[in-house]
Amino acid sequence: MKIAVLVKQVPGSESPLNIDSSEKGLDESQVTYITNESDNYAIEEALQICDKGEEGEVVIISMGPERVQKAIREALAKGAHRAIHINTNSSASSDPLVTASALASIMKDEKFDLIFSGLQSDDLGFGQTGVVLGEMLEMSTATLAMSTEVVDGKIRVKRELESGYFQWVTMTLPASISVQSGCNTPRYPSLKGIMGAKKKEITEVQFDEIDTFQSVKRLYSPSNSKETVMIEGSTEDIVEKLVDVLKNQIKIA
Amino acid sequence: MLTAIERIAFILLVIFSMGLSYVTFTRMFKIISRGTQPLNWRLVLKNWPKGLAVFISQKTLFKTRPVIGAVHAGVAWGFSLYLLVNVIDIMYGMIPGFKFLPNNFFGDVYRFFVDSFSIVVLLGVLFFLARRFILMDKRLITNEPVMLSETAKKGIKRDSLIVGLFIILHVGFRFVGASFEVALHGSDWSQPGATMLASFWSSLPYETLVFGEHFSWWMALGLILLFTPYFPYSKHAHLFMAPINYMAETKRRSMTTLEIMDLEDDNIEQFGASKLEHLPQKELLDGYACIMCNRCQDICPAYQTGKELSPASLEINKRYYYNENMKEFSSGAESLDTLSKWMLSEEAAWSCTTCGFCLEACPVGNEPMVDILRMRQDLVLMESKFPREAMEVFDKIENYGNPWGMSSQDREKWTEGMDIPVMREKGSAEYLYWAGCSGAYDDRGKDISRSVAKIMKKADVDFAILGNEETCTGDSARRIGNEYLFQMQADQNIQNFEKYNVKKIVTQCPHCLTTLKNDYAEIGTDLEVVHHSEFISDLIKDGKIEPEASLEEDVTFHDACYVGRHHGEYDAPRDVLQSVLSEKATIKEMPRNKQDSFCCGAGGGNMWYEIKQGKRINVERFEEAIETGVKKVATSCNFCMIMMEDGRKVTGQDENMEVYDIAELVAERI
Repeated sequence: MKIAVLVKQVPGSESPLNIDSSEKGLDESQVTYITNESDNYAIEEALQICDKGEEGEVVIISMGPERVQKAIREALAKGAHRAIHINTNSSASSDPLVTASALASIMKDEKFDLIFSGLQSDDLGFGQTGVVLGEMLEMSTATLAMSTEVVDGKIRVKRELESGYFQWVTMTLPASISVQSGCNTPRYPSLKGIMGAKKKEITEVQFDEIDTFQSVKRLYSPSNSKETVMIEGSTEDIVEKLVDVLKNQIKIA
Repeated sequence: MLTAIERIAFILLVIFSMGLSYVTFTRMFKIISRGTQPLNWRLVLKNWPKGLAVFISQKTLFKTRPVIGAVHAGVAWGFSLYLLVNVIDIMYGMIPGFKFLPNNFFGDVYRFFVDSFSIVVLLGVLFFLARRFILMDKRLITNEPVMLSETAKKGIKRDSLIVGLFIILHVGFRFVGASFEVALHGSDWSQPGATMLASFWSSLPYETLVFGEHFSWWMALGLILLFTPYFPYSKHAHLFMAPINYMAETKRRSMTTLEIMDLEDDNIEQFGASKLEHLPQKELLDGYACIMCNRCQDICPAYQTGKELSPASLEINKRYYYNENMKEFSSGAESLDTLSKWMLSEEAAWSCTTCGFCLEACPVGNEPMVDILRMRQDLVLMESKFPREAMEVFDKIENYGNPWGMSSQDREKWTEGMDIPVMREKGSAEYLYWAGCSGAYDDRGKDISRSVAKIMKKADVDFAILGNEETCTGDSARRIGNEYLFQMQADQNIQNFEKYNVKKIVTQCPHCLTTLKNDYAEIGTDLEVVHHSEFISDLIKDGKIEPEASLEEDVTFHDACYVGRHHGEYDAPRDVLQSVLSEKATIKEMPRNKQDSFCCGAGGGNMWYEIKQGKRINVERFEEAIETGVKKVATSCNFCMIMMEDGRKVTGQDENMEVYDIAELVAERI
């Protein structure tokens, strides 16, 4: 079983998120970058398949500038076998289609049986990369996995639906699956793992041309202004004015 | 006195006993030699005055059970005398016509002492046996849910009985033998006890008396020869292993400061202790020194609140493991199970608050807490098995430099509106004021930091803070067992200390204090670190600040383990507290105070995860504060503060009582 895990490095939620002077990105000097939360569960899901006796290889794939190697080393310390770093040499964000295309071009020859990714990234939150990549590589795809099980060359996935419902699907391999946070208990790397990770192979692939279909126009903090309008008059007047406000000002369809 | 045949038989018995003892004693020392960090026996032996002093003074016995300690001293001193008596008795038996200083004043004094000491020792041992088997003293029993091996459960009673009976028979027959001798040779004023007993035999025929004397001699001295090879199996070995344990003592900068691990060394296969053979030799020796008195269990905050941990059981399990596997383990076989399977459960290992009381209370110099720290290192570094909440704390420390997981850029926010000098602007200062994570992020902790800073400013101290450059010292990481994270944190801080030429540090966090002062010194960075209680106390003594003595209510003071037992400071915080009390008010101590203080429950990383078993330690402690009847509780530790504040709420005292740090009480009055 050859498993790829897509890992993204994102700004830690507790680090200061100041917008830089170009108003298109963050002031990186202040930011603490960490591994995207749901990606930790994706890594664990892959490692557990190997722990259960499936012979296999877990390959970490991460895209971004030099700093993402920290996230890669962490994943290697937990037990992943090797990694591919797609070095973008910049922090500029791309859109899911571009990211997935880049990943697909590099991953297609590897012939992975499974690709795990986190449900969505904590910074941009598109939640599409894993699925788009799966489609590009002609794999079965599933999102929102709560648990997975490899049986007889197929994979059973428990998917989260809305309001407490879930669904079991069985899919043929190869498959690309995005996992939900909380689906397992991510491990903490052992000292041996940490030390061993320093010697594991990270293949670096340069990827400079980020041609995006989408681009950031301006990044700014949401303003939290609030306005209170008192509607006065008889009950009928109030209702009439309220309906008008809802319809024409707030524009509730 | 003995016949020729008896003398030959005795010599044969001596040879047999020595041969067998050689085998069992060798095994005992081979077991100890299975440990890591080899003991230098030459140095250990050089330390003999220390062992002798402990043995003669019996001082370690009086720390927690003074009355029983006194009885033990009687038995111990009496027993030492018996060694001399045994030699003389052997001479009496083996050398025809030998008598020890007959019709001599010193001989009479000797006989008088033997006579009376025999009675003291007999009474002493009878008392101890009655305490265990009739009175069933509950301090000698270990409660559920502590893991105590089946062999240990049976062994403790059997071993106590064997040792007790041995002493009674040995001393008893020596005494009876003396009475036969008196009956044969006429009354002796210097042996009133034996003379009294001899009156029972006076009507017996001569041959019977001679037989009685010979029989008693054989029982008294033959038993010693039979018992000697059994020593290594018996807890009675403590009578020489305990002094040796003191002679082999490991010097530590503080009770919790273990040696620094070389994490880069590829040749090290095992970090921490997973199996018996991973423990240092000194700590294997602990198992042989243990006399199973349970003093450590009596005072352990985890045990006292119904958790799975008993430091005594740890040593007792260790000892019975030796007995059960003596042959295999001493000959070098790998031990079968991990320590958590038979010595101390994982849950118990996490229950330890590293308060250090077990080390303080142990009369034979054992360090069960250190074993626990080593097990934790294995569980974290090798197995990655530890409480979930601790893992989050590791991530938070690694990513944000504090266990609260708050932004490292908010660290100096507590100074807002106070104009506190910061190193990056000031360049250097005589003192670095170290607020610590709790002093920077916890609300009550920030109150304390502001108070300390206010006091330092008022006293014109040349100081500065690291501000946002400060990062967690790594205390919690190290006590939980994450040496890797600790070293990462230490590296960052040490770089800053070098950058700003920091030599002296003041901190109100006793955990930072211990780590900066001792663990960093172990790495090679020597700093002069003082606790704010000491610093403020000195400022008051030097007249730099004069707090108004205006507090009119009685206060009780809770000692922090890491200021008290770990740092040895009990007076400074009380002096500071005293300085704000008016004439009407006093410090009303809780029953458990100073060296005997009871932990708040937060040390050793327990601040960050919850052991759900039993009662909460902080509630137990706060109830003790309530019972003093005072309305104000003073602390000198941020963790203790958080724990006492929580205890106050849980016990429903939020309206009634208040918790302060000593610095707050001072800062309000200058």
